[in-house]
This record gives sequence, C-alpha cells and structure tokens, in this order.
Amino acid sequence: MKWRSRDSFLAGAAGLAITLGISFLIAILLILLLSKQPLATIYYFFIGPLTNKYYLGNMLNTAVPLTFTGLGIAVAFKSSVFNLGGEGQVYSGALAATVICLALPQANGYLGGLAALAGALAMGAVLAGLSGFFKMKWGTDELISSFLISTAVGFIVNYFITGPLDDPGNNLLASFAIDKRYFLAGLFPPSKLNVSALFALAAAGLVFFLLYYTHPGYEMRMCGLNREFSRYGGINVSAYVVLPMLLSGALHGLAGGLAILGTYHMAVKEFSFGMGWNGIAVSLIARNHPLGVVPAAIFFAYLDAGAKAAMLHSDVTFEIAAIVQSVIFYLVTAQALYNALRYRRRAA
Amino acid sequence: MAFLQMRGITKLYPENNVLANDAVDFEVEKNEIHAVVGENGAGKSTLMKILYGLERADRGAILLEGRPVRIASPLEASRLGIGMVHQHFRLIPEFTIAENVVLGREPRRRGLFLDQEGAVRAVRRVAEEYGFSIDPRLRVAELSVGQMQLVEILKILYRRADLLILDEPTSVLTEQQIRKLFATLRGLRAIGKTVIIITHKLGEVKEISQRVTVMRAGRVVAVRPTAQVDERELSRLMVGKALSLQVRREPLARGPVVLELEKVSLKLKGQDRPLLDGVDLQVHGGEIVGVAGVTGNGLAELEDVVSGLRRVTSGSILHDGVDITRFTSLELRRRGLAYVPADRLHRGSSLQSTVLENMIIASHHRFIRGGVFRRRELEQFAGELTEHYSIEGDPRVPIGTLSGGNIQKVILARELASRSDFILFSEPTWGLDVASSEFIYEKILELRRRGIAVLLLSSNLDEIMSLADTLLVMYRGRVVARLENSGALTKELAGEYMLGLREERR
Repeated sequence: MKWRSRDSFLAGAAGLAITLGISFLIAILLILLLSKQPLATIYYFFIGPLTNKYYLGNMLNTAVPLTFTGLGIAVAFKSSVFNLGGEGQVYSGALAATVICLALPQANGYLGGLAALAGALAMGAVLAGLSGFFKMKWGTDELISSFLISTAVGFIVNYFITGPLDDPGNNLLASFAIDKRYFLAGLFPPSKLNVSALFALAAAGLVFFLLYYTHPGYEMRMCGLNREFSRYGGINVSAYVVLPMLLSGALHGLAGGLAILGTYHMAVKEFSFGMGWNGIAVSLIARNHPLGVVPAAIFFAYLDAGAKAAMLHSDVTFEIAAIVQSVIFYLVTAQALYNALRYRRRAA
Repeated sequence: MAFLQMRGITKLYPENNVLANDAVDFEVEKNEIHAVVGENGAGKSTLMKILYGLERADRGAILLEGRPVRIASPLEASRLGIGMVHQHFRLIPEFTIAENVVLGREPRRRGLFLDQEGAVRAVRRVAEEYGFSIDPRLRVAELSVGQMQLVEILKILYRRADLLILDEPTSVLTEQQIRKLFATLRGLRAIGKTVIIITHKLGEVKEISQRVTVMRAGRVVAVRPTAQVDERELSRLMVGKALSLQVRREPLARGPVVLELEKVSLKLKGQDRPLLDGVDLQVHGGEIVGVAGVTGNGLAELEDVVSGLRRVTSGSILHDGVDITRFTSLELRRRGLAYVPADRLHRGSSLQSTVLENMIIASHHRFIRGGVFRRRELEQFAGELTEHYSIEGDPRVPIGTLSGGNIQKVILARELASRSDFILFSEPTWGLDVASSEFIYEKILELRRRGIAVLLLSSNLDEIMSLADTLLVMYRGRVVARLENSGALTKELAGEYMLGLREERR
C-alpha cells in the first residue's frame, strides 16, 4: 500500500537540495573569511572525508550509531511520544554489552555476541519503557522523565566504568577490553567500518516495514497523528505510549552495544557522548521517516568527518570547524522543521 | 444614523460550499443592547467573526459611525473600539487576572519588563470605573465561570472598547451568574457602551435587549424592537416554515429494542447542574430516533456517553440486552457499534492520514495476517467504498485535501461497513451542501429499511422531522418531550420544546 503521495516527497527532496546548496555556499564564504589557506580548507572539509578508504570507512562507521539513534527517535516521534533519554540509553546499552562480554570469556563468539547485543537492547528498552509506563500509569510527562532517568543512569555507568570495571592496565578511564572473539568483522580495512553497518541498514528497513506495513505500526502512527480519532476507532491508545518508548529505547541500546562490539571494544568513559542528542537531529532532517534516517545519518557523519579532516590538514581550529559545521546543520534542520510545520498547518 | 452598519455582507465557505451569510444587512444603534438570534448554522457567528476581523467577507461593507472601515484582524477591530467575548474563554489559567487583562498591552518598566504593580493598578482602576468588585491579583484558575467571564469583559474594557460582542455568554452560567451578567451589561449600557449579544435563549432576549435581529439560513429575516415581539413569534421566525425535504419514509414495523438508556446522568465535579439528567431512551431495530436540541442542552454529552468516550455518572446503557455502560470504545467497536461523530475533522478523521488509513481505523484487524497488512485486500476494500459512496478523491491522498462532503462520505462509508445493528449519528449534515446532505439522508433511510436501529442527534429540526420516527427533545440536559413524528407534529411545537418554552408533563 502506498501511504504518501509521491509529489510531496519529490517537492520535499528538491527543497532539501536547494537548502543544502545554500548552506554549502555560506560555509564556503565563512571559510574564505576565516582561513588563511581557504582552498585547502575547503578541499579537506568537503572532499577530505572521501579521499581515502580510512576516512571514508570511519565516516560511514560514525553514521552507524546515528542511524540507530535516529531510528529510535523517529519511531517515538511518529507516535507523538518524546524520548529525550537517548544519551543514557546508548551509554547503558554499551555498558550492558561490555559486562556480558566480560562475564562470558569462554562462550562461543556468535552466541556471546548475540547475548551482549540482547542485553544492550533490553537495557535501553527498559530505561525508555519505564518512562512510557509512568506516562500510562500516572500521566508523568515522558519527555522529562526519560531525560531525568537518562542523566541519572549516566552517572551510574560512569561509576562502573571507572570503578569495578576499570582496567588498571590501561591508562584510560575505561573498562577491561572485551575478548577478540566478540569483535564484529571489519568491512573496509583499515577503517573501523564493520558489519554493524549492515545491521543499521537492516534496522532502517525493518522499522520502515514495521511502521508502514504492520498492525502495530499502523496503530502507532494513527495514535501519533490523532489520539482522539484513534480512541474513537477502538485503538488502545494508552498502550501506544509504552510500545514506541520500548522500541525507541531498544534501538538506542543497540546503538551502544554495537559501538562496543564493532568499534571501541571497551567501555570508555563518556565515549558515546552526543550519539543520543545527534539522533534527534538526524531524525529531524529525515522528517522522522525511517528510510530517510540512513542518508541523514551519513550526512551528519560527513560533516563531522569533514571538520576533523580540515582541522588535521589545514589551519582551521576546532572552533571554526564547529562554526561551519553548525551553520550547515542549522540551515538543514530549519528546512526540515519548516517543512514539518507547513505540513502540519495545512492539515490543521 | 446607526452606530454600526454592515451592508450586503456575503460569505461563502468554499470547502463545503455553504453560503454562511447571504447579503446580510445588520444595524446597531449607539447605546443599545442588541440581540442576534437564530438556530445553529443560521450565520450569526460568521457575521460576528467578520465584524471582529476573524473572518473576511467576500462582499459587503462595514460602516462605523458612518465611516467605512476595513477590519482585517482582531487587532484592527480592537483599535476601532470593538471587543468580543468568545463562548469559550481565552484566558491563561496560570496567570493572574491583571496579567490576563493586560496581555498584549502590558504596562512596562524600562521598556522591557512587565510592570506587575502597574498592571494591577491599571486593572483595578478599570474595574472600579465600571463598578466591578474583583481582586486583580487572583489567579484565573481560582475563579468561577462567572468571574472568568467578567475578566473577559474587563479585558475588552481595558482596551477602551465601545462596542462589545458577546457570543452566547449565558450558555455556561448558572441562574445567579446570568443575573449578575445582565446587571453588568445594563450598567455598561447606562454609561454609553453598545452591546451585541448572540443567544439561542428567547427569554434572555426579552429580558436584556432593546432590539433583536433574527437570522435564518444565512439571511436576516426580521429586525424588531424587543418590546413588540413575544417569544412565540421569535421562535416562529427562527425556525421558519418547515422546509419539506424530499425524503420518503415508508411505514415499517419496528423490531426489538437494540439500544436502551436507563436514567443516564452525567455531572461534573463541582457543578450543580448536571449535563445529562436522567435520560431514558430506547431505539428499536428499523427505527430512527431523533434527538433534537439547541447546542448546550446535552446533545454533545449524549453523543460522548453513547459512544463510550465518556463515562456516565449514573444510569446504564444496554445493547441487545447486554450492559455496555462500562465498555471501552475498543470493546464497543468489537460489538460492532458504529458512530458518525459531529466533530468529523478531529474525532471522525485524521486529516494528515490518507483516505485509506481513515477508512480502516475501526476495521483494520480484518486486513491483517500474521501482523502484516494484506495490501490487495486493503486496496480492494478502499476501491469498493470509494465507488459505492461515489467519493471524489484517491484513497492514497491525505483525507484533509478532500471537501467537507467527501470527508463525511468517507466516515459514513467506514461506519456503515461495520455491519452493526446500531448506529449513532451526530449532526450528520452540519455544514454540508444540499447534494451531500441528501446523499446522507438516503443512506440513513436505507439503514432503517435494513432493520438497523438509528439514533440521530441533531440541532437541525428540519432534518429530524423529515427522518425520525420518534422525536425526543432535550432541554438543559433533560428529555422534555417524546413525540411520535406523525403528520400532527408541527415544527413550531417542536421548536417551542427546544427553546424551553414548553415542557411535557410526565
């Protein structure tokens, strides 16, 4: 079944392309103003991430957790439920995966890895699901409760990483490393890109299928668009506060677990900082459409990688890179917001 | 010369092709209280919205003290000294009275900060000037409904308005609060203000106004000095001669009782007057029971209660002999109860969703195998409904892009597809054009022929008189009349019940 007309989708894509063009122009102007070697800077900023396998692979690898968190936010927003606890859910998911790997030094690599990911998923789902449950039971605002729970959990995870799990052998604020058997296979050496990227693509497809082709997906979206209509139609609306939160949390937890198994191989203190918040931005750019989340996450990662490359290879400081990055980002988000608002107004 | 003149005001709502105001001429003298009466949909509110700048007329002119004026927004209306109290208050409960009153025109300190003390002083000054006793420091949330209305009036007076428009100001008030409001209005008139009051209640017209304008179907049908008309004549002017809708209703033997309400009451906490007061009614198979009433007399509450979206305070509801009083809307849907709501744009449809998604809200379980939608069955279903109900619109477009008549057809199609033995209609043709209305009447009569029990709630008396077998009239939450819709029943009689001029002895 086709749920949305193609024309509006094309119009949205054209609008986004124009905004992108304008924002890149502004970014180039800024670089011309702020850099003494503007040509090099522009080159590294925009082309740098694509010049070699290492940069390209790492950029795509950065997009993996962002895809998961972006999907997590999209699922929640589509249901008009707000999950601001992404940071804590990712971080605690990572901790859960690490603990399970450390606790099972002898297990079969696949089974142990699966157990670790299941633990990460469950951890995120429980944390977010709690907020959904409180909302259903007592009407607590899930936006606030998810944020507060996440923040508190962040400190607890810090305690474990720097306390009982801390490896005195390394000089980092980090846990013991997990066994090699649990590492996810690399896809694009020498970069860190690994099979979790394929999981991310699969997750986007699954979430899309779930939302647009299945029974709970339909009910979730209907509740998200119009709760009174859904209640009138006989949908159990209070359940659709909990389910989207559970799903959203599960996706966030997976982001953390996969980051440990695929990229970091140990829980480093605050290593996942930003993955949760940036997921909100990614979902916003994608207009909460699960298939749009993948390109949006790659775009986000590309900006990030460009800034890093420019800092490394030209005279650009961290601040300038951040300014250029945020200008582009600001414009694209504004466009996404504008589209969303216009859509809403027309429908109202 | 009249203080306010509106000439040839014409307003067409193209979405549903309704001519809300048809060349309306309306005049108000300086320093009078002028009542505007009419049934729902007569065009009173539209006319007042145009005067207050909330809507723009397609044609026509507004003259204030003889000078033509253009009123494109409430802000401009306010500058011209026109203020309006809406039926639903526009106050911020967390703010104090003073903060609410000055909102938008706040006294400031150093050009930036709200001058709290100044606001309190200014509001107190205005309140004293007009003889209101009210403490501007109280939070609005702590006020009674009557006091909130006073705050709304104060808001207008603070802006130095000379012309006050009140949209059904008494519908939410108790008897004593109405007394107080009227005293306030008389006081305002005494000091030279002009008041327009929209109302359904004819007793109030007699009591408060000097002149009355009667509207019907988008036109002004009469303007009279209040002293020279009685309530019966006003009622006759309002409802007009019964338009005979071209509907044929063959006699039919009615079946067993399908839906029954026993002493159903609904009362809000802290209110003394119940919204529904011991309502008894029965609907048989093959019978259309029409419930008529003016807005604010319990029709909307009856709709919510029968549809299971609101819990009754006492009493019970039975469907085919089963007590369904405590059923959720999901359980009611499972029993196959169908319902076409009055609020079709919010409750009856999800505007951003496609027509198809709207069509399956109550029946989507039927199209699922293993949790996944059967695409072909869905499209076939949508195609059948679109064809059978001649819906103009692709099932894949958002329903919000369709016309009002087509949206209602989608809702109707969906509800009739539920194959139930009972269906609830609330204001099924409100705001629709004649062709769409007739289509819906035909469908309702078809249901009756099929032996289905129909409960029809409507403030449109013509509609009820041409469709219903049995007619109930509600006034102030109670059923005040139960009439067989035979040739002997006249519209005037039913109208008198609706307006509370008459009550059946029981």
